[in-house]
Parts: sequence; C-alpha cells; structure tokens
Amino acid sequence: MKIENTKAQMRKGILEYCILGILQSGDAYASDIIAQLKNAKLIVVEGTLYPLLTRLKNAGLLEYRWEESSSGPPRKYYSLSEMGQQFQKELKGTWEELQQAVDIITTPKSTS
Amino acid sequence: MNKTININLAGIIFHLDEPAYEAFKSYLSRVKSALDGQEGAAEIIADIEARIAEIFSMRIAEFKREVVTALDVDFVINTLGQPEDFQDEEDATFSDQNTSSNGTKTKKRLYRNPDESYIGGVASGIAAYFGTDTVWIRLLFLGLLFFTPIGFFTYIILWAAMPEAKTTAQKLQMRGEPVNLSNIEKSVKEELDSVKERFGRFRQESKGSGKNVADGLQSVLAFIFMVLETIFTFIFKFIGIILIIIGIIFGSFLLLGMLGVVATTWNIGGLEYLTFDGAVLGLNGLEAIIGTGTTLNVLRIGALLTLLLPLFGLISLIARAFGKPLANARILNITGGASFALGLILLIYSGISVGKSFKVGATEMTTTTLSGNQFDLRADLIEENDAFLFEVDDTQLRIENVQLNIKKTFDTTATLVLKHRARGKNNSSARLRAQSFEYPIRQTGTVLTFNEFFSVPKEALYRAQELRGTLYLPIGTEVFLDPSIENIVYDIENYHNMLDRKMLGHTWRMERKGLVCVDCQDIEYYSSDDLNEIDEAIDEVNDGLENLEDDISEEIERLELELKRLKNK
Repeated sequence: MKIENTKAQMRKGILEYCILGILQSGDAYASDIIAQLKNAKLIVVEGTLYPLLTRLKNAGLLEYRWEESSSGPPRKYYSLSEMGQQFQKELKGTWEELQQAVDIITTPKSTS
Repeated sequence: MNKTININLAGIIFHLDEPAYEAFKSYLSRVKSALDGQEGAAEIIADIEARIAEIFSMRIAEFKREVVTALDVDFVINTLGQPEDFQDEEDATFSDQNTSSNGTKTKKRLYRNPDESYIGGVASGIAAYFGTDTVWIRLLFLGLLFFTPIGFFTYIILWAAMPEAKTTAQKLQMRGEPVNLSNIEKSVKEELDSVKERFGRFRQESKGSGKNVADGLQSVLAFIFMVLETIFTFIFKFIGIILIIIGIIFGSFLLLGMLGVVATTWNIGGLEYLTFDGAVLGLNGLEAIIGTGTTLNVLRIGALLTLLLPLFGLISLIARAFGKPLANARILNITGGASFALGLILLIYSGISVGKSFKVGATEMTTTTLSGNQFDLRADLIEENDAFLFEVDDTQLRIENVQLNIKKTFDTTATLVLKHRARGKNNSSARLRAQSFEYPIRQTGTVLTFNEFFSVPKEALYRAQELRGTLYLPIGTEVFLDPSIENIVYDIENYHNMLDRKMLGHTWRMERKGLVCVDCQDIEYYSSDDLNEIDEAIDEVNDGLENLEDDISEEIERLELELKRLKNK
C-alpha cells in the first residue's frame, strides 16, 4: 500500500468533480480550467488534464466548440452538456454527503 | 548562426532551431507512445499540440523573438509534465477497465510496426512484442552494427521474415491485446476520430484564414506532395543507411591505419598489432624511413589531424543514438572536416618529401682478396621470428637485403667483390650513403661466414640500400655451399643448370665450363624437356625446308617445260 497511490486515487475522483464544478460556473478554455486547478494545487503539470477532458467529453458530460484566439491556434471552449449538469448535481450531493461523513468520522466526538 | 526547422503545430508555423527541434520531437514522440492505445489518443495529442502551440506563440510574443529555442521547449515540458506522469494517473482506471471487461490475454505475435518505423519497423515491432521501449532495441541493433556486420544482416533478415502489421487485428496482436469486437471497434473509432478531427481542424483553419474550402486543387496537390515525400524519404533513408555502412567500414580502416602511424611514430606500446608496418618493418619502421626531423613531425601532426574527423563522427553518432544530438555538431563537423583536409595535405607533403629522397642511386664497390683454393660458405642465421626487412636500434639501422653470386675468374686468387647501393636526394648524398656500409665477413681457415644483413648508421635512414656480393673463383677452386646460406644466394650459374636450393649442401668445383658438382648423386638437368622441345622444333623446320625444296624443283621443272614449248614455237 503506497501513500502516493492512495493520494492519486483520492485526487482523481475529486478532479473530475472539480472540472465539472469549474464549468458549472461558466464555460472555459482548457487552459483556463488548468489554470484554476493549478491555482488550487490539485494538479502539478498540465499534461494530466488533456486525457481526462477527452474522457469526460467522450462520456458525453462535456461539449466543446472552437473559438478563435488572438494569440495562437483556435481553442476548444468547453461547457457542460445536459447530462453533465445532472452529473455535476449528483456528484455535488455525493460530495457533501461524503464531506459530512468524513467529518463525523475523523473529528473528535466532543461536539456531538 | 543556427539552422531552423519549420514545423506546423495545430495549423501554425513555428521556426525551431535545431536543438529545440530535436528536443521537441523526442518529447512529442514520448507523449505519443505514452498515450498509445488509450481511448481517443489522437484527440488528446491534438489537444496537447494545440496547447504547445499556444505556449510557443505566447513566449515568442513575450520575448519578441521569431525562433523557438530549447528554452521554450524546456518550458513546455515543465508546464505539461513528463509523459510518464500523465500516464500514471490514468493507468489505474485503465487497468481497472481492462481486467473487469476482459481478463483473457491473447498470444502476442511478432509483426513489423509500420506506425512507428524508422526503417522497416523491425525494432518497434520487437519492442512491442517484448513490451519495452523501441529505443533500447534500436540501440542494440546499432551496437551490433558497430562491432560486426551481424546487426545489418539480422535486420535485413528480420525485415524479410517479419510480416507487417497491416490490419487492426494484427496491430492488436502485435501488442498482445485481445482481438475482440470491442477492441477492434475502439481502434477503428480512434483512427476515424483522428481523421475527422484533422478534417474538422482543416475546415476550421480555412474558415479562420478566410480561404475557400472548396479550393480542392490545393488539397489534391498537398496529397500528391505527401505521397512523393513519403517515397523520397524512404529512398533517402535507404541510401543513407548504405552510406553509413560503407562509411563505417571505410572509416574503421582509415582509423586503424592512422592509429598505426601514431602508435609507431610515438612508440605507443600495446598497439603494435594494429600497425601495418609494425608487422612488416619492425616497430620503428617509419622512423627508419623518415628519420626524426621535421618530416616525422609533419607526418605525426597530419595523422593526428586526420584522426579527428572519424573521432568527432563517432562521438556525434553515439550522441545521436542516445537521442541527444550535440548542440554544436556543426562546429564539430566543420573543424573535423578542416583538420581532415589539412591532415591529408600534411600526409601527402611528407609522403612526397620522403619520395624525393629516393631519387638518385649510387654504387660503391669494395674488393677483398681471399687466400686458399678451398672455401666453405656459411651464414649467421637470423632467427625466424626476427626476420625483418630493416630494423633500428639506438645507433644502427640493420637491413636484410644481401645477395651473393659466384662467378669464374681467370686470375689466380679468389676475390670477393661487394657492391653497396643506396639512394638519396642527390648524387652526393646517395654516394655518401653507399660508402657507409658495414658488412663484416669472417674467414677462419676455409670457412667464410656471411651475415644475412648489413648495417648502416641510423642517421643514414633507409634509402633502398642493398648489398650485392660476387665471389670470383679461379679455375680449380672448390667451394662447399652450406645450407645456411639459402637466404643470400641468388641465381648462381652452374654447368648443370641446377636451382640454387638444390645446389646447397654440395661441393662444387670451378672448371672452364663453369661450376661443376663434385658430390651430387644424380644430377637433375634443368632443361631436358626444353631440349626435347627444341629438337622437335628443329625437325619441324627441316621438314618444312624439304617440302619447300620439293616445291621449288617441281616449279623449276614446270618452267623448263614451258620454256621448251615456247622455243619450239
């Protein structure tokens, strides 16, 4: 049992939820998503994200359209699909439940 | 000055300088192989390429440059991360999917991999079979090629023997993935996706730059160009490989020869076996010809300079094989080439100057009177292993070029005439050399002992010195030819026309008709066959003459008859 593996597993589950969360508050370029995730220290290098975005898109949770860019090539502009919206809501519920559960279990029982 | 290479990344042209290009190419191919076999790999790669294009554009604008440098590539790699990294995070989910959906592994088969080929895809096929990185297999082939021709032939044989993975099923088998419907579907879909993606991007680009999408001619031309490019690349690669092989063979010979020169002129021990002249002339052979003056130094420097090019070539080849081409390879190439040319000029110069010093020949003669009328000729043998043409020690140059002949004289005493020959730049230097011979002959009683070599001062250098001795014997003297003189006797005339080798070990007497063997058991005549032939030839000529005589007398008779008839008229 390696701590690194466990950390990676935890982060991965959350990562998908976070991407959906970012897009929930507005459409974004891949580089914007990356910037926010990097800011929150959820990812270290960008390369990790591209396979993930493609997977989410192929799963039908994301949609994208091409947008011109003043500097560089046209960019993919991601947004949540219908299914993605629902997915996000469901995950949000699960996340809150989980957060509560983890809190209950890991905090000392003095405040119950 | 740096060469730049143009690349098209997500529809934008970038100028990369050489080191940047090499680094970027290897990074991209690593990314590709890391994502290989993953769902939607083509799309992911396209996304990543687009992102890199974005970073490049950004940095070019920021630093006000036109060219992408290795620093920019490093920045990209730092930003995007190592391909292994973004594989790791994905791996867990993927292996989960694989084991849950399909636990059975199919048998792998060896195919050539056309998708990641440099020459024939043999190395990447083998790498796919063993599940290792292609680089190692390529290095293995290169290594084999360096030391033996095995690598080359193995590659050719494998190329012929391994079938190419053409169909999707074969490509899956090559990697050992199970060939089932869902896997094939996945692969095909991936291909289709990438094609669609490219097409979509193309349309997008054309729209973006305001071009007419219906301008089909351009795309047709592009396609033709692409096909031609592929064909030419293949041909050039093939020619290139052949040139490399020829170069390696030629280069190693040159290298060995030059190493020989360096080793012999500087007396580097342990390298004797490499040298051509080491075997023939003794280790100091070159020094004996060239001396220790300017010419030797010129030759040494020439040899060293010529060595630099193959050395540099070797270094950059090794560097290339490890995927890290030298940043300043161009400088190395230029200096290597220049020093090679300069070295060659120096070598030719020293060769000519040595050649000139062989121009004029001179002969000196010494005559020794010998007492007695019976001689026994022997020689001090050089041991077989030490046989040499010439050999140098601290003060002397010993040359093994002695020939001895025996002739008849009408004098009353025997004489030994020694002719010393030598060559030089001019008449006087040649003559001086011819005078400074040392060739002691010992006479004890009847025994005359010769040496197989003579000596000259070391400073005289080797200038084709030779010694020709003639022993003049009065009629009636007897001489025993000891077998030890085998190496110095040369074409001694004798009454029996015997060969030198057969004359040895016998006693000979000088008579008016020449040397006659005193104690030979059965004398072999040199030319009994030849004599027969001559006899036959004479017979033939005689026959011809007789025929001619007959013809002539017939003709005369006919003419006489004719004459008579005319007279009668």
